[in-house]
Amino acid sequence: MIELLLTPLHYEYMIKAIVVSGVIGGVCGLLSCFVTLKGWSLMGDALSHAIVPGVAVAYLVGLPFALGAFASGLLAAVVMGVVKSKTRIREDAVIGIVFTTFFAAGVLMISLFPSNISLKTIVLGNILGIADSDIIQMLAISAVALLVLVLKWKDLLLFAFDPNQAQSIGLNTTRLNLMLLILLAATAVAALQAVGAVLVIAMLVTPGATAYQLTDRFGRMMLLACGMGIVTSMLGAYISYFLNGSTGGCIVCLQTLVFLMAFFFAPKYGIVAARRKARRTTDALLISGDAHPVPALRGL
Amino acid sequence: MSHGSTKLNKNDISSEIDLHVNEVTVAYNNGHVALFDTTFDLGAGTICALVGVNGSGKSTLFKTIMGFLTPTRGSVTIGGKPVQVAQKQNMVAYIPQAEDVDWAFPVSVMDVVLMGRYGYMNFLRIPRATDLEIAIESLRRVNMLDYKERQIGELSGGQKKRVFLARALAQRGRIVLLDEPFSGVDVQTEAAIIELLRELRADEHLILVSTHDLGLVPSFCDQVVIINRTVLAAGPTHDTFTQENLARAFGGTLRDLRIDHTDAPDGTSNEFRVLSDDEEPLIFGHDGRLVDHWHPGIDEEESK
Ligand SMILES: Nc1ncnc2c1ncn2[C@@H]1O[C@H](COP(=O)(O)OP(=O)(O)O)[C@@H](O)[C@H]1O
Ligand SMILES: [Mg+2]
Repeated sequence: MIELLLTPLHYEYMIKAIVVSGVIGGVCGLLSCFVTLKGWSLMGDALSHAIVPGVAVAYLVGLPFALGAFASGLLAAVVMGVVKSKTRIREDAVIGIVFTTFFAAGVLMISLFPSNISLKTIVLGNILGIADSDIIQMLAISAVALLVLVLKWKDLLLFAFDPNQAQSIGLNTTRLNLMLLILLAATAVAALQAVGAVLVIAMLVTPGATAYQLTDRFGRMMLLACGMGIVTSMLGAYISYFLNGSTGGCIVCLQTLVFLMAFFFAPKYGIVAARRKARRTTDALLISGDAHPVPALRGL
Repeated sequence: MSHGSTKLNKNDISSEIDLHVNEVTVAYNNGHVALFDTTFDLGAGTICALVGVNGSGKSTLFKTIMGFLTPTRGSVTIGGKPVQVAQKQNMVAYIPQAEDVDWAFPVSVMDVVLMGRYGYMNFLRIPRATDLEIAIESLRRVNMLDYKERQIGELSGGQKKRVFLARALAQRGRIVLLDEPFSGVDVQTEAAIIELLRELRADEHLILVSTHDLGLVPSFCDQVVIINRTVLAAGPTHDTFTQENLARAFGGTLRDLRIDHTDAPDGTSNEFRVLSDDEEPLIFGHDGRLVDHWHPGIDEEESK
């Protein structure tokens, strides 16, 4: 039995996959706190799709994939900004148009000019078959993103919570906004080959949304989301060996499972706790002899 | 009525922290010119009311003073320096209108107040002992220390306002801007805010407070700036907060009652006008100057 459980660890590619998934899951988890609180999940989804044509071009011409991905992600962000400022179309529609266009162009390019990377890898991820050079790029991006987040999380928090206050104490809010956007694009690039373009957004939202239900402190929320990202990603990669199924699918399903547990059983904001509290309060008011909980309305 | 520049306080310190709004014009992206050619000056040791109808540009003016909006013409200087420079020195504290903040954010009351100290902390924003002390003291001053571990959404409107006031105190800004601090707060908080502003004035701060609650203005503001897309009048309350100026600024939105008491025993002309925004009536004598503001006795007499 133990022997069976340890089999994945006999393979170097499995160990690599588990470690890389864990690192990326952790960084995505940290960033997901900002994404959920700032309402940037559509933007995150858009960026993770918009990097695809960049990856295609990079593989075609033999550049590091991260470079191409990053460039096309930022280009998409700029195009969105320009289109939004020139039309009266609502922001979410602009995002929707731009990212699908980028994604379509990427898919078309890969199908027309076959290269070392398959469409399946980009769309669904393939952490088990990833090249070492790509692993190095993913780890480097994660390390930089992690460093920026650890050093700047308080400034980013203030910017997300109250940008006016951030500016009024002399912080450069344009730069903080850009920093957050670049972090988002960078982590989307890092997560692309792990879970695929379609599922990146889950890694960038679910841990934060889960942690948000468990705590009222941002610092604790970041720790919880990061921990959850690491554990679910490592475990997901590990389990996918036995299921012989998609690693990305495994990781995201695990995250959803944890999310659902928090959704129902979180100590303060969970559905069960809220029900219990409402019932207790009502009971207490009934016992205290007054049927109506609003004192002013008693006796009416 | 005095128009344009008025500067009353001649303290030495005032030159350091005076606010100078010079021919400011602000247009929004959609082309709407919200402020036009707006000019006034204020010095330290002042509580100045910024009054005007909804949409007259009060919030726009605040955002311009804070540098959130850039004027298309004109300039704002604080102590002779551009806004951005003054902000880096933590000179200006701003208390936003309540709807500008996401109350569901996972931050505690103490976290919010400590945000006022960021400008003094190192780049990792790790609070030192002094920062914590000042934050605690600020919370105590607004009587919110017992709530310091609460998530900010779990407070009443008045308590939220106090927390942001504490953050402004913790920031130690010599200039304090409050946008509609009295809307949606209870009477105790209103009194507490006014008391605190008086203390700050005694401590040579410069306070600019916007409100459309006219009745409160004469009770604690020594200066008034009346705006409607530009400055209609600015200066000491006694000279500026007149029936004529208010009628110009508020026009049909105020109730205007004339009460004639010429049969008074002493024979003097005794015509009163009452302007009311439905909250606290203002009563002006025949010279157009304020006689009294909210006063239960007069209220009852009028209704007879
Ligand atoms: N972001 C914006 N874009 C366009 N117009 C705006 C914007 N914000 C405010 N306005 C307009 O500018 C005018 C002044 O608004 P504001 O400064 O909020 O007034 P006040 O605070 O006195 O009620 C209003 O007519 C308002 O509609
Ligand atoms: Mg306003």
